Amino acid sequence: MKTTYFLFALIITLFISGCDPLVTTFDDTEDAVLYQSNLIKEFPAKKSISVMTWNVRFGVARLDFALDACGDRVIISKSEVITGLEGIANKIKNDDIDIVLMQEVDVQSKRSSYVDQAQWLLNNTDLNYGAYASKWKSQIILADGIGRVDAGNLILSKWKLEDAKRHQLPLRGDQDGITQLFYLRRNVLSAKVNMPGTPFYAVNGHLTAFATDDTKQKHISGFKSILDDIVANGFSFVAGGDLNAIPPNATKTDYCLEDQCEVGTYHSGKEPEHKEGAYFKEEITWLNDLYGSYEPAISLEQYGMNETKHYTHSPGGKLELDRKLDYLWTNTAWSNGVTHQDATKLSDHMPVTANWTVK
Amino acid sequence: MRIIHLLFIFSFISAQWSSESAFLLEKGRKEVGLFTPFRMGMENGSELSVNKFLMMPSVSIKQGMSMYNSWKMARIFRVEYPTPGLKWLQSPLGKEMGDPNMFSLISTQFSIPQMLSFYSEIIGTTGNINSGQLSLSAGIGVALNGKNLSDDATIDLPIIYPRLSIYYNDFIIKSGGQYYRKFTDSFYYLIDYDMYLMPGGRGRYAFEQQGLAVWQKSNTFRLSFGYKLIAGEYPFGAQAHFLPTINIQFGW
Repeated sequence: MKTTYFLFALIITLFISGCDPLVTTFDDTEDAVLYQSNLIKEFPAKKSISVMTWNVRFGVARLDFALDACGDRVIISKSEVITGLEGIANKIKNDDIDIVLMQEVDVQSKRSSYVDQAQWLLNNTDLNYGAYASKWKSQIILADGIGRVDAGNLILSKWKLEDAKRHQLPLRGDQDGITQLFYLRRNVLSAKVNMPGTPFYAVNGHLTAFATDDTKQKHISGFKSILDDIVANGFSFVAGGDLNAIPPNATKTDYCLEDQCEVGTYHSGKEPEHKEGAYFKEEITWLNDLYGSYEPAISLEQYGMNETKHYTHSPGGKLELDRKLDYLWTNTAWSNGVTHQDATKLSDHMPVTANWTVK
Repeated sequence: MRIIHLLFIFSFISAQWSSESAFLLEKGRKEVGLFTPFRMGMENGSELSVNKFLMMPSVSIKQGMSMYNSWKMARIFRVEYPTPGLKWLQSPLGKEMGDPNMFSLISTQFSIPQMLSFYSEIIGTTGNINSGQLSLSAGIGVALNGKNLSDDATIDLPIIYPRLSIYYNDFIIKSGGQYYRKFTDSFYYLIDYDMYLMPGGRGRYAFEQQGLAVWQKSNTFRLSFGYKLIAGEYPFGAQAHFLPTINIQFGW
């Protein structure tokens, strides 16, 4: 069966690809795509910089998208996407954010009606510059009518971004070749923020959610090693993203029943016992190294005192948040770390913000 | 069965409305290609063409017209019923959304209405195969009931997008040209272009240029291979593609 799929896809690839590859693959490290607003605003250097991380779910808010929410739609209309983006842009403007680390941004995807969300957000916020790195780029995804897709990580900044790099993370090790070819290519995006007098790095990662092997551990390690290199070169950083991992002191580690689309799919004695991306028990210690090396915007103590206040995610259309997956980190210090649970209708992830004190 | 799926998808590549000459098949002769329709010369001096993939049924008739100066003239009328084919493309392997529904090219969230399209085309050919034969064509097509098909249900791929655009756009204008010449006793070459204009559509044009080397062993077998260069506009913007093409045709 897999051989047939492979041959089928190979022939389609040959016919459709031509000069442009059907599926875009990436070098280990390569330049990110740079953006800028159609109207540049001047911003002086600041002593305290507000930083946000936010998985924006390609601007479709809480709509029932089929692939992550048990829904029955994969193509969302342009008007629905623009409505979603307006909510995101208003949140960024109202909170006067200086640096945004954004995940799940579509720049040319059929599922979001081909709205270039990076450019749209720049043109509709006070942010001036952007750096983008694809995690999923293909002329067609041969499943579910998804069609063309270009989605990835985005850094938005009031100050100019330089030396923007896309760092490839390992591909999932638990997939067959054809699935892996068309699947996500997770990455970490880094860029130097050229704030006058005090340049620093912004780092944005979106790590694997569904791998059932040690791929997530490799991604966390890869993310940290990029931060280590920045510090070793004498710079400071603000980093963050959707790490798809829960804190080491989280009291709940199994979300299989909450996330299943049909009752009885998991924990029923049949294989698989656990839902991909919903069972964290065996990986609960994987963020220890990051917590031990760098400063989180929400400390483990803060999180442990009131877990629910710091939940950042609930899947699909479920508005009751039930886990923390999104983080901010620095090698110096944060103040005023906040999980914005008021944004629960704007995405399936909540933004996390904090103020970074420039040293 | 999957080979049939494969042939169906690629039948778009060299399917109906690729450039051709004004000459008709002689009475009783039949031709069919791997990626081209079944054609047959009729008793009344016309030519019948049928898409052999019955999920996308289409029938066309080509009729000779009186000469215009040195130009041999013909007209083509074609009717196509795309509904079963488009529904099949929503779930080629019979899976449901999220299974995943492998090889689905149109989301099952969209309903495919009953639709029909009608094409009319005029072709003129001058010259001969030994010194070079030039054909020019122009035509229009209209679709019925396409307004009930969502504009988001397009397949944004080269070759396929312009050929299905009529159902999203209700209307298409097409022109084409072909130069065909004998190279040696059994080798020929063919250069052609097709221009699709889709006014008001999310993708408004497609230009296809093809070069083919043709090996005709006899009157019963023909092998052609070459390239197709496509520059077109799609709902996401403009893009060019360069594709290999191959076809095997049989005649009797």
